[in-house]
Amino acid sequence: MKPTDDDINLVERYFDAELSAEELSHFNSRVEHDEAFKALFQREKIIIGAIRNQGLIDNLQYLKSVEEKIQGNQSHSTGLGRNWYYYAAAAVVAILIAITYLLPGKQSSEELFASYFAPYPNVFEPTVRGNELTTDRSQAFQAYERKDYQTAASGFKALLNVNEEPGILLLLGNSNLMLGNTKEAQENFVTLINKYDDLDLQAKWFLSLSYLRSGDKDSARKILEELGEAEISYASKAKELLEKVN
Amino acid sequence: MIGGEAIQTEIIQKIRSGGQTELGMIYEEYRTEFLQWITKEYDCSMDDGKDMYQLAILIFYDNIKRGKLEHLVSSVKTYLFGIGKNLAKDNMRKEKKFIPITQEKWIKEYLIDEPDQPVDENIFAMAKKALAQLGQPCQRLIELFYYENKNMQEITEAMQYKNPETAKNQKCKCMARLRKLVDEEIAKNSNILNHEAY
Repeated sequence: MKPTDDDINLVERYFDAELSAEELSHFNSRVEHDEAFKALFQREKIIIGAIRNQGLIDNLQYLKSVEEKIQGNQSHSTGLGRNWYYYAAAAVVAILIAITYLLPGKQSSEELFASYFAPYPNVFEPTVRGNELTTDRSQAFQAYERKDYQTAASGFKALLNVNEEPGILLLLGNSNLMLGNTKEAQENFVTLINKYDDLDLQAKWFLSLSYLRSGDKDSARKILEELGEAEISYASKAKELLEKVN
Repeated sequence: MIGGEAIQTEIIQKIRSGGQTELGMIYEEYRTEFLQWITKEYDCSMDDGKDMYQLAILIFYDNIKRGKLEHLVSSVKTYLFGIGKNLAKDNMRKEKKFIPITQEKWIKEYLIDEPDQPVDENIFAMAKKALAQLGQPCQRLIELFYYENKNMQEITEAMQYKNPETAKNQKCKCMARLRKLVDEEIAKNSNILNHEAY
């Protein structure tokens, strides 16, 4: 039997939450006792389920497009990030040679620092253009990305007071190096090495550079040797790759 | 982390009245931390972590839109991690070990609010087919109403109708058209079945 327009209207009003208490009670009773009405109710429920399903699928697709955009931005902004290991591993060998055989003849440790130091990229929470958030946390990362190291350092310090995170410690150390706060930077990297397993290689690399900057060649050499030993196969791989790239 | 009860409430209000832009902002805000946590905690791949994060964000968004979540006692981060934990545990309970989640299948199951009353898969498939045939602006209008839970005033503004009454009339017409398309699909399907029977 074809459902009446009144029944269709009643079912629609039920799903739109427009029924009065009395209408609702009558409605529930019909669903329980009237098979045809129950079928109409079930069909409407499935139709609305299909609409909600489509909404969820549309938003899932949207999130996937956001994810792709983040991936795209990261591979762009972390070009240095991905090649960082290769660069650092090759640089370890180069600086060791320079310290051991060339100093104090040609380059001072300050010059070596200047040649090899490049701030670590924000691979932790990169900003996606057009979707900037105005939280203290995102503002600190955004400041780091636009090379406003003073604001970034203040922001990172505040964040670390609430919760210590290895990524933030690394970026704070880098900000301090950029600001010339070498001693503070060294403290950041030492904390990172002592407290966390993550980002150990990065922390040691930047700690060695900070020692070079402060003229402490012996401490720099010690860490570089450690890095060179640990990453010796890595370093040769890096050289091989660099040769191929060149 | 975004903190403070007032800020949490503001985020919820923004999502409640907003749309995909707000959805994307929340996605980006907690993505890194969530992925770092879930991949470590459940020993899953980054891609599996992303699948679960996307579902967690969709549930969070849906709960706000449906009025199930109006205030947060903790933080958005804690809430999202809680959803992630449930998703991972549910997945592991079913499969005994972590296996990748099929998002579309999961979304379909999520919509079934009465697990003891299974949804007629055939009619659901036909309703989806009919919805695709409905076209715009009807599809957008009923999605705003039934998925985004927008009221008629909000729909009037979003779709530039003359007034909420016009929007409401339009919504009823769109639903009537959709029901007709579903009926046609059902009829088409039963004809095929009858032919096959002969």
